[in-house]
Parts: sequence; structure tokens; C-alpha cells
Amino acid sequence: MLKKSTYKIPEGKLVKIYLKEENKKITEIKINGDFFMHPEKAIEKLEKTLINCALNKKILINKINLFWKENKVDCFGINSQGLTKAILLAK
Amino acid sequence: MKKIRLLKMGHKSAFDNMSIDESILLHSQKNNQSTLRFYGWKPTAISIGYFQNPLEEIDIDSCKNQNIDLIRRVTGGGAVFHDQEVTYSLISPIENKFIPLDIKESYYKISQGIIKGLEVFGIQAKFVPLNDIIANNKKISGNAQTRKKGILLQHGTILLDVDVDKMFTILKVPQEKLKDKIIKNVKERVTGINKLTGKEVSFDEAQTALIKGFEKALNLNYTIGSLTPSEIKLALELKKKKYTTHQWNYKR
Repeated sequence: MLKKSTYKIPEGKLVKIYLKEENKKITEIKINGDFFMHPEKAIEKLEKTLINCALNKKILINKINLFWKENKVDCFGINSQGLTKAILLAK
Repeated sequence: MKKIRLLKMGHKSAFDNMSIDESILLHSQKNNQSTLRFYGWKPTAISIGYFQNPLEEIDIDSCKNQNIDLIRRVTGGGAVFHDQEVTYSLISPIENKFIPLDIKESYYKISQGIIKGLEVFGIQAKFVPLNDIIANNKKISGNAQTRKKGILLQHGTILLDVDVDKMFTILKVPQEKLKDKIIKNVKERVTGINKLTGKEVSFDEAQTALIKGFEKALNLNYTIGSLTPSEIKLALELKKKKYTTHQWNYKR
């Protein structure tokens, strides 16, 4: 079943999540919104990276932070806590 | 003083405008040139941020019926209705003294060009993080930035006037039953140069003021220029292979 959420990150931008899950693991995810992320192309890679990731706050934050660091991604208006919250709010 | 090429390009289509911005950006990666470009949009267009889904944000049929072009930007940020405005793009290598490395600081610094430009009309404006400029407590300018291989591209709009009712024939609202309330709210929160001055300010007058504003705020030394044949060629390619395609505009 497709789950959705819309979350405005405090002092940041709006994030919209569409995801499918199985056994509390992400099987599909789409991250939309009016935030900034350079390079922009990294978003597709991040969405792939999150497949099979457990819907768990700590695991998600670590995974997103590591992805941003490894891929030299600069974010503005979005952070790992805010994105994680948006993902966990999807229902 | 920072040497910079100044391009006054008048009104073009959304597809030309975004292709030209990216072509200049890609050339700047090779020649390290800085460019400040001013332009308008004809026909009226709506641009969406890189990460937005047009089907969520925009009434596509209404766009088509009104001949309003839809385009995805290379920058993040929100949907922007491009009608009565002056748009700028600043494309430059990121150099600490000219453009700060810190993203927030760079938005602040570039915004000072717009704020100084608005002062020409007696408008007192200020930067509001993350990426807006307000005057009389209302938004008059929105800005969006990307950085690619050491080159910054920031483009933004400065409103001359805004037809909020027309804008909301295209922009979708989260809850249709609250549409009237949302429109009223936006009318109270957005303004333009014409409203603030009580005069009809032309595109050219606003452009001239902004050129002065950027010159002062960023300590620029302009060379009035034009696109090179190579920039034009690449822009035409980008227009054909990227910005006019369904694959790009509906990619997310």
C-alpha cells in the first residue's frame, strides 16, 4: 500500500514522501519537495540507497548522513532529522 | 572590483530561459567567467523546483488551456508563477570574497543586490532566510541556487505585479475547500514594485535599477555582452534535448 506524508521541516522546507514498505522496511520511496540539495541528481541515488532500509529513526538518520557525506551532498532547507521524520510520518 | 559580463536579454520563453542559464553555467565551468543576466518570460510560465512533482503542484490542463508553459528548473525550491516580473541569474565561480562558500551567506550576499536595486524606487526591503526578500512584510522576491563543479548559479524573481487569482488557476492547493482562504492569505503576503510605489514601473526601469543595485552591493565592474556562438549552440541543444521534453519536466 502506498503511504504518504507532507512535513514542513522547522526553519526549513516542505518534504513530501511517497513510500511502500514490507515488514517495516522501505521497498519504494519518492522524496519530493521545495528543498535544495546539490548536486540535485543525488536524490535518485538517495532514494535507491533507502530501499531495504528499516523504518527506524536512528538507522535512517545514520544512513542519510552517511550518504550525504560519501556523495559530498550539500543540503539547504532539509536535514537528516527532518527527512527521517517525514519518512516515518508516512501513512 | 569583480569583472562580470552583463546580459540584458529581454523576454523569452521558459524553455529558452532555462536552457540559456544552464548553457552559461556549463561554459563557466570551462572559462571561469562570471555573468549577471536579466530576463523576462513570454509567454507566461510556471517553473517548478528540481524536486517537485508537477502533477502534485500544478493544474496541467489549466496551464495548457491558458498557454502557460510549464518547466522544471535545474535548481530546487518551489513553484514560481512567472508573469509580471524581472528575473536575474548570477552565474559565477565560487570565490570566497565575491560569493561566500556558505550557502546561507551566499543567498544573503546576492540578495543585497536586489535590496539595493529596490532602494532606487524608495522600497525598503530585507532578506529573510532561507531564500526570500520581503518589503512591507510581504514577499517581493524568491531565489534559488545550485552549485555545480565550483560554479554557482542563482536565479530569482523580482515582482513588478502579481495576479494571485490567475496564479491560483494553475497552482494546486492542498485542500480545495480552503482555496478561497489560501488565495486571500497569499494576497496579503505577496507584493510587487508597482503596488509599493503606486506607479506602473516598466521591465526596463526595474532592470536598470537592479543593475545599479547589484553593481553597488557586489562591487561589480560590468562589461555589457551577449551570448557566445558556443553558448547559443548549447542552449539550443539543451532546449531540444532537455527542457522541452516530457522526460525532464515530468521526471519526478
